[in-house]
Amino acid sequence: MNEIVLETEALTKYYGGTLAVDHMDLQIPRGCICGFVGRNGAGKTTAIKLMLGLLNPTAGSSRLLGCDSSALTPAIRQRIGYVTEGHRLFRWMSIGGLEKFQRSFFPKQWDDKFFVDMIEYFDLPKKKKIKHLSNGQRAQVSLALALAPNPELLIMDDPTLGLDAAIRRQFLEGMIELIMRQGRTVLFSSHILGDVERVSDRIVVIDKGVLRANCSLEQFQKAIKKAILSFADSVPGDVNIDGLLHCRRSEKQLELTLVGTDDEKISEWAKSAGAENYNIVKMNLEDQFIEFTAPANHRRLFQWEER
Amino acid sequence: MRFSALLRKELRECLPWMLLAAIVFLALGGFFLRVEIHYRNPSWYYSRLSPGTIVESSLFTYYSILGIMGPLLLLSSIGLGLVLGIRHFWIPNFTRTWPFLLHRSVSRKTILAAKLTATMIAFVISLGPVWIGLYWYACRPEVFPIPQTPRVFIEGWIFIMLGLVTYLGTALSGLNTAKWYTTKIFGLVFAALVIFTIFPQCSLVWIFTVIAVSAAILLSRIFDTFLRREF
Repeated sequence: MNEIVLETEALTKYYGGTLAVDHMDLQIPRGCICGFVGRNGAGKTTAIKLMLGLLNPTAGSSRLLGCDSSALTPAIRQRIGYVTEGHRLFRWMSIGGLEKFQRSFFPKQWDDKFFVDMIEYFDLPKKKKIKHLSNGQRAQVSLALALAPNPELLIMDDPTLGLDAAIRRQFLEGMIELIMRQGRTVLFSSHILGDVERVSDRIVVIDKGVLRANCSLEQFQKAIKKAILSFADSVPGDVNIDGLLHCRRSEKQLELTLVGTDDEKISEWAKSAGAENYNIVKMNLEDQFIEFTAPANHRRLFQWEER
Repeated sequence: MRFSALLRKELRECLPWMLLAAIVFLALGGFFLRVEIHYRNPSWYYSRLSPGTIVESSLFTYYSILGIMGPLLLLSSIGLGLVLGIRHFWIPNFTRTWPFLLHRSVSRKTILAAKLTATMIAFVISLGPVWIGLYWYACRPEVFPIPQTPRVFIEGWIFIMLGLVTYLGTALSGLNTAKWYTTKIFGLVFAALVIFTIFPQCSLVWIFTVIAVSAAILLSRIFDTFLRREF
């Protein structure tokens, strides 16, 4: 069994009366690239801050590299890279100054060549101050600073937010540099499903503070599907099929979004409901995510991953 | 190495304000001292008055240099304390740099210790040398007509220490996430009360005791808040 590097147990956080993270049980094995996705306000940043010990949980606990998040030791922090939301760095410092500052906390593991290569790759002048950099450039500095100490676990909070497509691509390529180093684990939150699809092998979905999925990306993509059923007369009034997320009706058509339902079962149900024909439509990750997290009356627990 | 990196960073953030406080205190303090020495000189008056004019003797009363520069030194010190407290503990709330700073391979205590050490150094090397310089200048023969006692020198340092108390009060208020009308204001109010308590006192021992006790109270609250606070 894979070693678990990040683990939460019934992790819960309230801000006053508002529930931000609701009994989150999450396990991330070593060596995976995990996309942490959710809508705005879903609780991604709160969950990440709880994991890093920057917030105190209302209930539950989390562990990073075997150490309780509320008592992360300096030695453990040294093994974790963190890219903050919005790439908030000291504005008055130059890139070179920040490099020197960051390096002093990783005296043995700092990879000077890697940092210089990344800065050159991103075409960033070392003397330039952070306050004079664009959002994209700040993101690149932030990534280089987080990667140069060669962290075992890299946690990034929405690192590509506000970046244009070209910079995002560069950023992801920089991230792939780390991924190529064996045994490294990455958890990154994002709104951009294309980025998650490009680099992740695992997906964690959080919705209104509740963990809705934690599985391989392939499993997620296979599990969520859309079936369009055509009827000669009118569509049936009652749709009772396992894994139904959403159901949209038109006069002679029924559009079902399903999770974890086998094609065979869809076929059986289509026959029993008297459908003339049915078609299973391929969905991209973004559509799958939107359907999966959209409010619906027929929402069910994500049971398929347990099979 | 890690502490010195933090210390350098904190000192660099203090630097513009240290320089400003030192320059303002040196320029205005030096100016007031020169004016005092010049205009309270009876020969200066008599050279401009008609013979026989009666002049109030209080015009020629000299004060200690703290009497001349005390308010300026106190204002510079309190101002520096306020600005550094805001720079270290308020601004990161707005620039959202706390998470980056706190995810260092050092304990929160070390981060806080670096901030406090940097501030003490900032006070000592910005206002300290200027105060020593002006005191030394006033003590030189034939510069100032009354002697400057060691107590005057010590009282100057008390004014500088009150700036540190202001810093601690500002830091505590900055760290507190409660509403203004509740406990957030406590740090600043406490620092103000300490300053007002100090003034009517004559005994240096009493003054030092008040400063030490109040600084200890503020420090313990700051450490407690900083170690437990969410960022």
